[in-house]
Amino acid sequence: MSPETGRETALSLESVSYTYPGSDSPALDGIDLNIGRGEIVFITGPTGAGKTTLCLAASGILHHEYGGTLEGTITILGKSVRDYRSMAEIGRHVGVVFDDADAQLIFSTVEEEVASGLENLGIPRAEMQQRLHDVMEATRIADLADRAPHTLSGGQKQRVAIAATLVLGTEILVLDEPTAELDAEATDAVSTLLRRLADKGTAVLIVEQKLNELAAIADRMVLIEDGKIAQEGQPTGLMQACLLQSPAGGARHPAPAAARTPSIISIRGLVHRYDGVTALSGVSLEVAPAEIVAVVGENGSGKTTLVKHFNGLLRPTRGSVIVDGLDAGSVPIAELARHVGLVFQNPDTMLFAETVEEEVAFGLKNIDPGSTGEPIDMALREVGLLHRKGAYPRSLSRGERQRLAIACVIAMRPRVIVLDEPTTGLDAREAARVMETLGRLRQDGHTIVMVTHDMLLGEEYADRIVRMEQGRIVDDRRMYEEEPCPKLCSISPGRAPFTASTRSPN
Amino acid sequence: MQYITRESAFHRLHPFTKLIFVIVVVLLAVLTSDTAMLAVLVGAVVAVAAAGGLARDLLRQVPLLVSLAVSLLVLTILTIQNGEILGYLVPQSVPVIGGAFPVTVGAIDLAVAMTLRFAAMLFAFQLFVISTQPRDLVHLLDRLRMPVDYTLMLLIALRFIPSLQLEGKRIHEAQLARAYNPGRGISGKVRGLFPIIIPLVSNSLGKATVLGLTIDLRGYRSGLRTPMRDLAPGRVDVAGVCCMGLLVAGYLAMLVI
Repeated sequence: MSPETGRETALSLESVSYTYPGSDSPALDGIDLNIGRGEIVFITGPTGAGKTTLCLAASGILHHEYGGTLEGTITILGKSVRDYRSMAEIGRHVGVVFDDADAQLIFSTVEEEVASGLENLGIPRAEMQQRLHDVMEATRIADLADRAPHTLSGGQKQRVAIAATLVLGTEILVLDEPTAELDAEATDAVSTLLRRLADKGTAVLIVEQKLNELAAIADRMVLIEDGKIAQEGQPTGLMQACLLQSPAGGARHPAPAAARTPSIISIRGLVHRYDGVTALSGVSLEVAPAEIVAVVGENGSGKTTLVKHFNGLLRPTRGSVIVDGLDAGSVPIAELARHVGLVFQNPDTMLFAETVEEEVAFGLKNIDPGSTGEPIDMALREVGLLHRKGAYPRSLSRGERQRLAIACVIAMRPRVIVLDEPTTGLDAREAARVMETLGRLRQDGHTIVMVTHDMLLGEEYADRIVRMEQGRIVDDRRMYEEEPCPKLCSISPGRAPFTASTRSPN
Repeated sequence: MQYITRESAFHRLHPFTKLIFVIVVVLLAVLTSDTAMLAVLVGAVVAVAAAGGLARDLLRQVPLLVSLAVSLLVLTILTIQNGEILGYLVPQSVPVIGGAFPVTVGAIDLAVAMTLRFAAMLFAFQLFVISTQPRDLVHLLDRLRMPVDYTLMLLIALRFIPSLQLEGKRIHEAQLARAYNPGRGISGKVRGLFPIIIPLVSNSLGKATVLGLTIDLRGYRSGLRTPMRDLAPGRVDVAGVCCMGLLVAGYLAMLVI
């Protein structure tokens, strides 16, 4: 029995500590956690606190697949993980959704992907068909059944990975940031489904940064810091405690007064088609210098496709894109890169150098081979990484790598900086830090365009929100025309703890 | 090279029929070095693809085949001197080394034969892969009593080809966005690899771990496989086997002639 809830224990960790091979300090330190059948335990905490390691421990992966030093006892359905012969045996009882959706997609169509695990359960075909249908409807991927998983957007991939795990009907679910890339509607659908499964007796351990959406369905919330359980309790009470402890965040930086004309980005009737899919259908948009524009929308609505036209990575099928006076439909990418910097969603896509300094120098030297170290120091200072100048880029934390990716772009001093999902995978403190940096860059006259599925992020930090649906702009509104931001420091109800969302007066 | 969702006749064939097709083409390609016969074989495979509306997908391999042909030609010219001399890599008018590396008919014949042989096998295998869903392939190999480890290795290999291509494209785009312009030609391509290869290898290794775990957790070693759909051979398979019979008969007749 779980002492906390009185339910029959499904998963338990007793005094679990773990140190990765080659590391001096433990990633988990004396974790005690019980999850009962039908219970949803919501785990949160800052980036690098040990949340993913906890998922790996709870699902037996640390014991069966990783080296390092594991102490304590992990019990799955009354049996120690040491007594399970392999991950295949554990997989009959525990379903795991990893934080990298891409790596979990093996097959060539979405339906095949979701059905793949079902076909190994030895259950009747009729039941397989029913389960497949139910899960695909519940996770809203039925319309993607024939699509190739690798052609989907990040959020759609994540939904497929979730469906492929949920369809197995395991007694325990371990989910590591399963909704990080999902829009509000899809997050809501997944939350509802998880609650329904829990009500039928499934034990759910879920790690997430999205407090409001997922804490609402949780029975218990656990805050992890430095590999230890810092706090544990009812979600509502703990959320309040977290918010009270939160540090004051950065202020929203107003746009420079004379920064409204003429447009620095001008898009007219942009259409983009590929492989028979119309990704953009007649998009028109004007962006003024030194604006912060958030492009929001559901997964697969065409946000990333739109911004890839700004620096020539994609060329229009029809229509025109003028950026800083250049025709982005024909000017070479290398030339456009002097005017538009693009920070990709995953910083690991670009990091290859031996040191942080070399990484920043790479782009700078591409546009100015004779450049000195000064712009590099300036960019690193701007993102707070000057002290890590000599570090190996891939050894930095996720948040630091994201800031390094921004430094690589700002060192090149482009007038327009585009960021694709700049805060995905970051805790709220890191996210606020990134957004503060963007605010300062706007103060310096840079135009910021950020793609995000997180409406709250747009509302908090952008001057203007452009909402896309099915390849079209369906809404375009300025934030401070509607609301003049009277608050010096307010806490948005939708943001995770560890920081305060802020908005300064304009 | 990956499965393409399409309603082609080749797609409708039972995976086992398609596997036999691959084996037949490989055997026929290996059994002769005659360039005319190999050309007919390549033509037959392309014709099958064209009939199924898949010829354009095969033609994407042509740049690879051309680079292979050029490499083989250079290699055979440097190492084989057989038959009539058509010319010299180093013209005879060049002092001292003039007349080195004669280009012979035998060397060219061998290079062309090896290229055609490789093309026939590559096209046949590609036809099989792009028209067979990976799960059908897994079920087929399972029925043929292939050890599960080998089946999973093949599955992962097939999965990783498009994944690597996609990741490579993404990384390439990220470096282009940083104004990286390695230049054209072979030296540009070689220079362009450096900022791509490190992130590609690092990211792929991380994904491989998760992929392996996912396969285990989805129960691929459970031995309890129930295909979602039954794939029974039909008339189209009978027609396919007949066509293969004709191909083999024609091939043997040409061998005799």
